[in-house]
Amino acid sequence: MTPTTAAAKRRATAAGFDRPLLLSARQDLGGWVLRGVGRSLLLGIALTSVLAVAMIFVFIVKEALPFFTGERTGELLTSTSWYPKAEPPVFGALAMVLGSVYVTAGALVLAVPVGLLAAVFLSDIVPFRLRQMIKPAIELLAAIPSVAYGFFAVLVLAPWMQEHLSLPTGTNALNASVILAVMAVPTIVSIAEDALTAVGREVREGAYALGATRAEAIVTVVVPAARNGIFAAVVLGMMRAVGETMVVWMASGNASQVPSPWWDLSQSVRTMTATIAGEMGETVKGSVHYHGLFAIGLLLLAITFGLNIVSELLLVRGRRAAKGGAK
Amino acid sequence: MRTLVRRILDKLFTASSGLAVLLMAAALVLILGPIIWRGSDAVFFDATVEFRRMQLGELHRGDAEAVADELDRAHAARQKVYDLLDRFSEGIDTSGPAQRAKEVLRQYEAQLANRVEAGAIGESDSRRMRRRAKKLRNALLDAYEADEADAALARLADVLESPEREALAHTAAGEFFRMAARYKEVAARLDMSLREKYADPLASVRETIGLLLGPRPGQPVPDLSQFRYGATRWDQATALLDELLWAEQWVSDGAGRPMRKVRTRREEVFAGTELAGLFPLIERDLEEMMLPQSTVYWQYFIDDSPPGHFFGGVGPEAVGTLLLTALSMLLAVPTGVTTAAYLVECTRGGPLVRVLRTCINTLAGVPSIVFGLFGLACFVLWMLPGLGLSNGSSILAGAMTLGVLVLPIVIRASEEAIRAVPASYREASLALGAGALRTFVTVTFPAALPGILTGVILSMSRAAGETAPILFTAAVAVGKLNWNITQPTRTLSYGSYDLAVGDRLAAKVPHNQFGMILALILLVLLLNTAAIVIRWRIGKRLRGA
Repeated sequence: MTPTTAAAKRRATAAGFDRPLLLSARQDLGGWVLRGVGRSLLLGIALTSVLAVAMIFVFIVKEALPFFTGERTGELLTSTSWYPKAEPPVFGALAMVLGSVYVTAGALVLAVPVGLLAAVFLSDIVPFRLRQMIKPAIELLAAIPSVAYGFFAVLVLAPWMQEHLSLPTGTNALNASVILAVMAVPTIVSIAEDALTAVGREVREGAYALGATRAEAIVTVVVPAARNGIFAAVVLGMMRAVGETMVVWMASGNASQVPSPWWDLSQSVRTMTATIAGEMGETVKGSVHYHGLFAIGLLLLAITFGLNIVSELLLVRGRRAAKGGAK
Repeated sequence: MRTLVRRILDKLFTASSGLAVLLMAAALVLILGPIIWRGSDAVFFDATVEFRRMQLGELHRGDAEAVADELDRAHAARQKVYDLLDRFSEGIDTSGPAQRAKEVLRQYEAQLANRVEAGAIGESDSRRMRRRAKKLRNALLDAYEADEADAALARLADVLESPEREALAHTAAGEFFRMAARYKEVAARLDMSLREKYADPLASVRETIGLLLGPRPGQPVPDLSQFRYGATRWDQATALLDELLWAEQWVSDGAGRPMRKVRTRREEVFAGTELAGLFPLIERDLEEMMLPQSTVYWQYFIDDSPPGHFFGGVGPEAVGTLLLTALSMLLAVPTGVTTAAYLVECTRGGPLVRVLRTCINTLAGVPSIVFGLFGLACFVLWMLPGLGLSNGSSILAGAMTLGVLVLPIVIRASEEAIRAVPASYREASLALGAGALRTFVTVTFPAALPGILTGVILSMSRAAGETAPILFTAAVAVGKLNWNITQPTRTLSYGSYDLAVGDRLAAKVPHNQFGMILALILLVLLLNTAAIVIRWRIGKRLRGA
């Protein structure tokens, strides 16, 4: 060691320049253990979402289980009469399942064409700058709280429908469908647009080179190439509509009935979500009615879980196809 | 020729897809437009003198002297209405004087009791005198109730010619004679048959005037705060004026046909009587009676409101929403960002990551009402009572539910932001000798922070707007301003639902219905605008780089 001044030595020590470059075995082990502990801590926190999903399933199933005795299980999906307060109570949720199907189907009929056309418009037609302006507007549409949509449905749209379409009531399946469509469109647009953008430029150029117009290229080449992502978009839009509560609770009229004739959307219906929202507040905790509402919740959870898996498979397939196309 | 068709089809396709986007923009405008337009009525409106009186009385806000001054001016204008109403009411509606007669007897009884106590008169004398006074009162009440002038006059004569008159003149009961003399004059000039004809219309006119002008000066203050003040807003006042000027009736056009609404001028109902003059008078002088002033009621966002939301603002709801949102963020953001950091920095695929991702996607897809059920079963009924923190719904339970709900949003946004940090940043840091933790904390995280912030703000806006998860876990429709997180709270989202559907009385105060939802939408728009601005700045920086 060369002689140095005391000050210089202190500086060198403070900066750690005189530390040996190689770690000792103990330091090495310590670092390795610390790293392992840190990583498992991180993993532990990351597993919160796994825990949350597990807890949701456990609690919904646990509270729904007491409902499922022999005859009630069958009744739930075959009967359309829901009289939880009658003596003996009847728990037939078929009308509500159909109600959910009605408003969801109505919403998709309106939202899918609009959403897909808008996605095409954003991915293939408008210039970049305009697209940057349209996207925030679509996000805004997605950000408006569902209770605000419900508020609009019941205080603005319902009176308007009653007056101008001369319907007996403004709160009906049609009203709920229209609003749900507006809510599902942003989901459909953003996912479908991602799928369309992921279709490579060379695919489009190939179509143009063969003499296709832009519409022909999109309809016959780009959309089929992006079909998986587009289906996923529709499925996710459907999930949004099925799981939506406030709008259908406020706008669908909440009459537990199957519309007749079946195509008449101007009648009131009632969905699974609205039933839970409307009745849970009034039930006695632990009663059959309470467990029955959890059973509907379980049904809802199962449906959305299924749709979720479908959409994920579609997205994965779409991504794989896009990668294959690029090669 | 075929080319032409194809080109037309192409143009049609372009036009229709543009139309789809226009349709979405139209939906945005159509939905936000009415809410913002009608909601702004809650903040910007013409406030009457009753509004300023209410602000002073309920919230001790404003200049007491100036309000008293204004009230004097308003009362001077209103006095004409009261005079007209009183003159006409004499004889038609005798419930006021009848009430007064009963009160006089009670006063007299109290007087007698005092004198017995003082030893001035004996017990039996007192009883006798009370009987006499009661007889007088009953005669007077009969006179007030009599449907024919002759009967009324006869009963009044009984009172006026009573032998006790001299003896009672200087006691409280002396009032009976004055009242009788007054009613005698009225009964002499009044056509008693009018009573049947005008009693009901008069009652409804009185009620409307009561709503319009508030309780008369000198009347006892009503218990419910909603009845203590007249029309606080000029639009309410004009609506009540309309109700006052026009009587509405539903008439049927025969069986099976819908009922029809018929409006008749009340002036015609009361034609030929003194009261007919009341309507043009109010119509002409309403401004002087109410003294409207255009007002910016920004305190709408902080004021409390009585049940029914007749006046006041959304303060407790705003506090509840902010508390719920802040608390849920406190739970979700650290967890979410850590999860994202783990996913980006510590893993390279594998089954564990697949399970994690599936769970995050599942969580994102669970319907909000199922979150509500989960929060009810897990937090409200099991976990929090188990920890001894609360019984029943509470802000804490709601915040935990919302925290789980926004967790996937936070994770996805943070992951995207962390992934977007260029690898060269990390490599430079590692090359300088920093460890993985130091690299993340001092280099990657700060670089990803704006993106993470965007995600956090968007999930805040989501948490603030959600209603279904807090239905059974945190929200109540009625309650005091609450800062205690172990208690339930009013929130903007649930309040909007309640005002739109649950609370029938709220239909009478549309400005408050729309004001509540406007407050929620403003909060959400504010958060989203902030997110958009932050993202735009990141975009600019990335393009510049």
